[in-house]
Amino acid sequence: MDKQFKNLIITFIIAILIFKLVFYKESFITIIRIVAIFFWIFVLPGFIFLFNYKLNFVEKLVISIAISTALIGITSYYLGLLGLNIKHHWILPLIYLIIGFLIKNVKR
Amino acid sequence: MEGWCKSLMVSNKISFYKLNLENIYLILIFSILLWAGCATLFDYRIAHEFPYGYLASDAFQHQTRAESIKDAGNYREEAFYIVAGNKGVIGYYPPLIYHISALFSLLTGIEVYDAIYFLIFIFGCLAPIIIYFIINHLNKHIAILSLPLSILIFSRAPYIGFTWGHWPSIIGQFFLIATVWSLIKKPKIFLLTILLIGTCFSHTSELIILLLFIFFLVTIKKINFKTIFITLLLFFIISSYYLIIFKFTWMHTQPYRFNILKDWGGSPIFKLSDFKFISPFIILGMFLSLFAIKSLPILFSFFMFIIGYGNYYGFNFRAFQIRFFWPLYLSPFFGIALYRILKLIIKKIKLIITIALAIIILVLLLKTSYTRISYPGLMDKEHWQLLTWLKENTPEDAEIYFFYGDIYDQDALLRNVKRKHYLVATTDYIQAIKSRIIKSAYLTETPSDAGTHFPVRKGLFNYKYLHSANYTRIMPICDKDYYVIDKVSRFKPFAQYNLLLLQSLLKNSWIKKVFENHASIVLMNTNTTKECIPKEGIKIG
Repeated sequence: MDKQFKNLIITFIIAILIFKLVFYKESFITIIRIVAIFFWIFVLPGFIFLFNYKLNFVEKLVISIAISTALIGITSYYLGLLGLNIKHHWILPLIYLIIGFLIKNVKR
Repeated sequence: MEGWCKSLMVSNKISFYKLNLENIYLILIFSILLWAGCATLFDYRIAHEFPYGYLASDAFQHQTRAESIKDAGNYREEAFYIVAGNKGVIGYYPPLIYHISALFSLLTGIEVYDAIYFLIFIFGCLAPIIIYFIINHLNKHIAILSLPLSILIFSRAPYIGFTWGHWPSIIGQFFLIATVWSLIKKPKIFLLTILLIGTCFSHTSELIILLLFIFFLVTIKKINFKTIFITLLLFFIISSYYLIIFKFTWMHTQPYRFNILKDWGGSPIFKLSDFKFISPFIILGMFLSLFAIKSLPILFSFFMFIIGYGNYYGFNFRAFQIRFFWPLYLSPFFGIALYRILKLIIKKIKLIITIALAIIILVLLLKTSYTRISYPGLMDKEHWQLLTWLKENTPEDAEIYFFYGDIYDQDALLRNVKRKHYLVATTDYIQAIKSRIIKSAYLTETPSDAGTHFPVRKGLFNYKYLHSANYTRIMPICDKDYYVIDKVSRFKPFAQYNLLLLQSLLKNSWIKKVFENHASIVLMNTNTTKECIPKEGIKIG
């Protein structure tokens, strides 16, 4: 478990460096904020659900992005229809992280 | 010959993350794609003062919709200014890209116009990486050799998928590819369901293609029927709300009709010949692949090749959108051909050799096929200042009339005023210029997204459609609240006519200038019941 999270942190740092290199005119603070929020919304929720899948780490990371995008996008849409303003949807990744942890621990 | 891909398959051991050669290669490719496709277009920044790199109306269509969802907090209805001032029109577009963009904008603090465009490029650059892992099931070396072709999604024709606003198709294909990945990887119901729903909520054309592919795989017994049945059941339950909307909106106005479409109304279409020096390898690879056709990655490539020609059997322009990603779908054929040729020369191919060759191919493609675009696009600082001023300084029920402006025919950008707006028809304007007359009424468009005829839901399965032919008609100008007149134009007669029109309007004491910058002037009409231009018009010159 530790190794995967360590790898995630390393990936986060590499992502900041890549984005700063590629978007070199953008301020460092903005890059960090964008990458951090990207991980929050588009990486972590999916990653927790794929945690126990036997996959190459990079493969897991990329598919996590697809899963997170789908989960957050769909849930955000339905919650909006039900009346919860989108400005409160920042909490969705946290909810999915909790669900993911619970499922992982139940499976154990 | 059919044994070659099995015998050469590199073992797919579980490997935790370590900075190995393969990962470095993938990071390099992703970075180059991001730089080539996104950063050069964005002037190497993510946040901009105005919508940057937007090259067509459709891009603004999606930007303003995401913006409206951010404002409203939900996507129950289309914002009135998107649908010709009509209220109560149900939100009918596949919602995923708008919701994630609005949320991303809210949390990062960057504007929606940057957030949505940035995310589209991220998904576009990640799609090749997923394709890599699909091909990796066949052979790692083939996967490595195939990946450089992904730079061609930023060549002339496919690049418009990004710059002209075919964004739902881009993200739809991202999910299509991800779903195919999950099909190849011993499909799990949860994963398949989520990705299938993601596809549906991104762009329904790709969902249809995906369902066709799944049906095909079930028919040839490549995937388990029970898994698919449960997946589809869950999918339909969770997606039913939006699928009902889709049925009564898009399917109502764009039902399936068999037709043959040979061109795309001026839009560039990606063809096999656009692969240039790569084309012979692709054709050779297709021939070689026939001996391994039972493999899922190969089946998928052939399937998407055939779908790309769907314009000849009823898929309409959607087939041309699939071709945006032909450099990805057909890349395995290139990889296979090159790998077989390499095997004739080198018996034991090392990873470093494959990667080195792949990088050489990437550099060649960058030099020969990549289309570098590096300019701000349609919008400029002055016009953005104008639109923002109108949004922030006019009442919500104000009606704004736009006279001729060079960029206004890409009319979705006008929705950024967030007011009901009108646009003079250029044909009638030209006629007025030729006739040397300033008129009290012009042929006028009410710019809007009328693709689904403004559906209003009366019940779960009961819809009313508000669209009528009246949205383009001869319209008097004197009853409008605000007028936008551009001071400059690429075409001198338009600029001169605009200034004469401005002077004529300002002769009325109840019409005053309320905004001006280098590009435009805004006039406020404080009495919309008075005649501002005589009915017979004003002769000029």
